[in-house]
Amino acid sequence: MMVTLMDIAVLIKQSLDVQELRVDQDTGKIYIEEAPTKAGDIDLNAAEEAVRIKEKVGGKATAIMLSTWGASGKRLKEAKEALKRVLAMGLDDAVLIMGEEGQKADTYVVAKTLAEVIRDNYQLVLAAEGSDDNFSGLLPARIAAELDWPFIAYATALELEGEYVKVTRSLEDYEEIVRVKLPAVIAVTQEINKPRVPKLMDIVKAGKKPLDQRDFTPPSEPKIAIRELKVPKVERKNVIIEGDVEEAAEKLLQALKEEGVL
Amino acid sequence: MKVLAYGDVLDLALELVAAGRGISDNVVLLVAGDQEEKIQGLKGPNEVLLCKDVKSYDQESLVELITSIARDFDAILLPNDRRGRELVGVIAHKIGGSAATDVSSLRLENDVILIERITLGGKAIAVEELSLPAVMTIQKGRFKPLEDIEPEIREIKAPKIERRIEVLEKKEKPRVGVPLDKAEIVIAVGRGFKKKEDLKLAYELAEILGGVVGATRPLAADLKWMEEEVWIGISGVRVAPKVLVVVGASGQQQFSAGIMDSKIVVAVNNDSSAPIFEHADYGVVMDLYQFLPALIKKLKEAKGA
Ligand SMILES: Cc1cc2nc3c(=O)[nH]c(=O)nc-3n(C[C@H](O)[C@H](O)[C@H](O)COP(=O)(O)OP(=O)(O)OC[C@H]3O[C@@H](n4cnc5c(N)ncnc54)[C@H](O)[C@@H]3O)c2cc1C
Ligand SMILES: Nc1ncnc2c1ncn2[C@@H]1O[C@H](COP(=O)(O)O)[C@@H](O)[C@H]1O
Repeated sequence: MMVTLMDIAVLIKQSLDVQELRVDQDTGKIYIEEAPTKAGDIDLNAAEEAVRIKEKVGGKATAIMLSTWGASGKRLKEAKEALKRVLAMGLDDAVLIMGEEGQKADTYVVAKTLAEVIRDNYQLVLAAEGSDDNFSGLLPARIAAELDWPFIAYATALELEGEYVKVTRSLEDYEEIVRVKLPAVIAVTQEINKPRVPKLMDIVKAGKKPLDQRDFTPPSEPKIAIRELKVPKVERKNVIIEGDVEEAAEKLLQALKEEGVL
Repeated sequence: MKVLAYGDVLDLALELVAAGRGISDNVVLLVAGDQEEKIQGLKGPNEVLLCKDVKSYDQESLVELITSIARDFDAILLPNDRRGRELVGVIAHKIGGSAATDVSSLRLENDVILIERITLGGKAIAVEELSLPAVMTIQKGRFKPLEDIEPEIREIKAPKIERRIEVLEKKEKPRVGVPLDKAEIVIAVGRGFKKKEDLKLAYELAEILGGVVGATRPLAADLKWMEEEVWIGISGVRVAPKVLVVVGASGQQQFSAGIMDSKIVVAVNNDSSAPIFEHADYGVVMDLYQFLPALIKKLKEAKGA
């Protein structure tokens, strides 16, 4: 593949929309099938950052997604929608690696697969600090290790300087400005930018951008197995306090006293 | 079974040692050079490895150091803060190991480590089998430091590294040490506040109740109205007070995952469809600018009487 001045891979995960996910505390059932999936919120920040870099220095940016939600019906449609969303923001093309539903793929296996797509073809990988549904941040780190590229997480600002990238990263106690020579893998925070909202024209154009769908063949066995998903029991009373401002304040204090917490 | 624990903050590192003891009676604590003075009289681990030439804020050297000694261990435990989370995936991959973050419990079962961690934005707890070697970050406050064993201290040399990340500048973040995770009363503020100055309503309420003020992520990290250490949620602090009053926060899942252990949750929000009401014991559907002054007044009266 021809490598242009700056080729950026943006990692987009097909995440469960956890806000919409319904769980039943009594039966312990988690309605995963019923919940929609979407591009992770912070993945959109990674896409936005890629578009901004392109606007400054030129080059090309590809959205890359590996999904094991299954290539049938609504999940495939949602995966494509998620990719179209970032294409509409300004990414140039997309690679969708589709596995079978429930196919075993932990971050180890996914990283190995995606690293092969990225190696030799991109100089910069942008991902989110964590995905909406798993929030581990493990995948970008593993890809960096697999490629033997430097890894910088919690980026709050990026600036390209020739073949170097200057990154502000926000750790517990320090904010650091670091400089690395490309290629590199960078995981961004939600604060790095405000993802643009695509205009109707951009959405129409996105439908015509190349989307390369491939089959997923796991390169190895996963390192972890999920044995069970449990629903944590949190009992809330969900009482709405009525009345005018004065009454509501009074009733709330009364309720807290009765709870024995004031 | 042999476990390595490493954390830049020694108090947290001792929690990791305690976590490690649950799966092994041989837990080794790695200590970076700049923490050396703190190991005087330290108890808990079976052995302390002191590496004088690596500093606790030098992520690149830490990756190399930990991977270079990893082959002697079946599990590596790191703190679940940003430093630990930046290290865990790289180290796990370099040693061909399994990995998990935000681990709240762990035990050994045959030849896997069985862990629990929060997932799906706090809506579920995943029980996962990690193959060995396993590298994981451990949730704060889950394990009580043991102060039984007096460790041997052994010095080790750092491996030579080829530096690829150059630190140009380092700015200390303002920290005020708000004890959010231990507070009995917490007021959590969100973007419903229009201006930074308006937060004084929350501070006043906190003062009367003897509590502290926390925030949602956008308020602390994006608007920077408060120190970053006070954001509550899946990517911030988990709170467990007797009373939590959430004011002007929508209660998105990533925030609400951090308040599950609170005893009583009160929500004040002018939008009756805000998800925070599902996570609340008592909800007040009102403008915070009207309700908070009234509540503060009532509390003052009650105190004065
Ligand atoms: C992977 C990931 C991790 C995240 N981690 C965290 C985390 O750890 N912590 C966190 O907080 N967020 C986190 N977020 C962000 C989270 O999804 C929400 O965006 C955030 O919590 C919303 O903050 P907010 O409630 O202050 O703002 P909004 O969602 O904007 O809510 C403001 C609320 O104020 C109410 N309001 C407005 N005016 C008034 C008024 N006058 N009186 C009363 N109420 C009023 C509105 O009705 C609204 O409900 C994360 C997101 C992702 C994707
Ligand atoms: N299957 C995937 N395909 C593409 N990108 C992914 C995938 N899994 C994780 N990522 C990227 O890595 C980030 C962190 O994910 P996680 O390790 O699940 O917290 C995500 O937000 C994405 O940017």
